[in-house]
Amino acid sequence: MAHLLQVGAGSGGMPVLDMVCRERRFSRITLIEPDVYKRHNVERHLFPAGAVGRPKAELARDWLAERRPDLEVRILACDLCDPDAQSVIDEAAASADIGVCAADNETAKYHWDALMRRHGKPWTLGEVLSGGIGGFVHWFRPGGPCYGCVASFLQRSAVPVAKPNVPDYSQPNGLGETTLPASKASIQAIASLHALVTLALLDHPDDYSPGFTSLLLTLQHVPDVFDEAFRPYRFRIPRSAECLICRTAAGPGPSSPEELDVALDQALARLGHG
Amino acid sequence: MGLLDSEAGKRRLLTVEIPVIERYNEGREPAYKIQLVRLGSSLVLRYRLKPCHNVYQLETRLVSSYPTVPPEIRVLTALKHCPHLLEGQTLCLWRQGSTGMTSGWDPAPYTCVFAVRAAWRWLACYEIWHDTGEWPLPEAK
Repeated sequence: MAHLLQVGAGSGGMPVLDMVCRERRFSRITLIEPDVYKRHNVERHLFPAGAVGRPKAELARDWLAERRPDLEVRILACDLCDPDAQSVIDEAAASADIGVCAADNETAKYHWDALMRRHGKPWTLGEVLSGGIGGFVHWFRPGGPCYGCVASFLQRSAVPVAKPNVPDYSQPNGLGETTLPASKASIQAIASLHALVTLALLDHPDDYSPGFTSLLLTLQHVPDVFDEAFRPYRFRIPRSAECLICRTAAGPGPSSPEELDVALDQALARLGHG
Repeated sequence: MGLLDSEAGKRRLLTVEIPVIERYNEGREPAYKIQLVRLGSSLVLRYRLKPCHNVYQLETRLVSSYPTVPPEIRVLTALKHCPHLLEGQTLCLWRQGSTGMTSGWDPAPYTCVFAVRAAWRWLACYEIWHDTGEWPLPEAK
């Protein structure tokens, strides 16, 4: 019986959690989710309007308890990147069999990737594209490409989704990223794929080989972006020897936290004088 | 990641960022070397660049969530108001504060010295713009 560690129970994470937890293979869940359920969440979420104002983690726990009363559910109502929560998150990761990332920001995804690599755990990630025009499902295993390898590869090569990213000088003051909400149907479609990949990876953690590292499924025809709807693109992404994200962790250096601090202080002192 | 308060952040500094700064500084005139200063939860690179005619003093800030979030580069030397210059003389090189596919910044291959070189290129463009009124990089239009 397996232990699932998941971050995120938003509109994309909750359906994944719901689908994978209906499988009897899991006996234990740890969910990291600090947010409160808000009015604008109702349209795309599994929870009812009457639950607005309650923590999403508690709602997720109640949801699972109704469907799987035998499931041991632990909620961590903290931000994944909160420095004060790292020891408890590390402890949960150490005992997990698989991770599911349903975080909605890049900082959290990189943080999660580092956590999973540190503990040598396989994990999956689902991403719905803005407007629900399609979405990605990625899977990771220890020793394979990290999230940095994957994000860097897709940014350069996935022509249909990521055109060459030159700085947007046309909007020097428009600094916010523009995103359009996806429909619940789009979110659910990608979440279903995410759940399937998660369950398959759990069954075959050492030899899972679906023929892709990242699967992109288009859901809409979008001129100049996607030629047609419902078309899968399968990306086989190798680990990059030049990736500074996973190379960092494997690199030489001080072994204990104290040695790390001393080495950093020495380096800063060395470079602090012009 | 927490550049200065997480093990991953500290290791990134020790194994990636600091070695590339030291390589950049090697053999360079002292006035043009990068200085690295801790400022709260950020690290600041202080340096001078001379792309063509003039010398500019700059600061590149690596915020706590660097390298996921791109570095912020500010020119301390007074500049004429020009295109691609944000408030506080921050260079418009990538979307500040944004991450991932829309920012143009990629934490997997880029280091803080990449940002310094990007600033050098920006300043070279600035000097051409100053003389001709045309910003020379086509992708910036």
